[in-house]
Amino acid sequence: MSSRRSRSNQQSSTSRITDDQIADLISKLQQLIPELRGRRFNKVSASKVLQETCNYIRNLHREVDDLSDRLSELLASTEADSEQAAIIRSLLM
Amino acid sequence: MPPPSSLKQEFLKKWMMGLHICSSSKKNMSILERKKAIKLSADIALASARNGTTCWSQAIIVNASQDDQDKILVQHVLGRESERLMKKGSVLPLTSNKRIRSRKILRRSCGSIRRRARKTIATSPPKVVAISIAKKLIRKRTQLLKRLVPGGKFIMDEISLIEETLDYIISLQAQVDVMRSLANAS
Repeated sequence: MSSRRSRSNQQSSTSRITDDQIADLISKLQQLIPELRGRRFNKVSASKVLQETCNYIRNLHREVDDLSDRLSELLASTEADSEQAAIIRSLLM
Repeated sequence: MPPPSSLKQEFLKKWMMGLHICSSSKKNMSILERKKAIKLSADIALASARNGTTCWSQAIIVNASQDDQDKILVQHVLGRESERLMKKGSVLPLTSNKRIRSRKILRRSCGSIRRRARKTIATSPPKVVAISIAKKLIRKRTQLLKRLVPGGKFIMDEISLIEETLDYIISLQAQVDVMRSLANAS
């Protein structure tokens, strides 16, 4: 009887520790995402944080893609007056 | 917390290295080829800044090594570490040392569970319903996140997934900052 009680106590205290760990990690995530950063003192739900995280990562991927496009076009530019192309070209290639 | 400048510098250094290698191996590239070279070098540079200490960085390295041409770039940028990191089994699959939660993300739902859940929802008090909907949303979004983070499908527990995501986002922010400054340098 007593062993059962102590086992269930142990189980609930360990899962409470992992709950806290996860809540802590989710709040760290919240602070990284610009959309949610200002709302630190209002509790944002975990599922909202995850949703915004996915959106944010997708946006970052898209931005890297756009920037790669821009950089490759800049490098292809053969305009005589395009100074930035010359700078970038000398830096990159 | 903005990405540390040490990370940006490491990324920039490795990225330049990669681009020099790409351009020296192929003289007249089309715009599309150049874009792919820029993007690939950027991703490999980002992964090498973590030197295989994270699941996402190793996944990028392993994926790039699948292609013969890209593999050469990986070997040059990563140097001595590349052989070890290109071996798939060394870090992946990744499980946290911490207790794996019993409320699992990867539960397969079959028709009977869904039917049972619908019945439970119909007969339960609203608070319980709200909690179970929230759990479903979290499960669904966690699956989405696993697909977005490289190597995410090898990560078994929530805690490791969130830690990997945190590191991956900081690295992506560094990558975007450096690439944007270069593109705007005029």
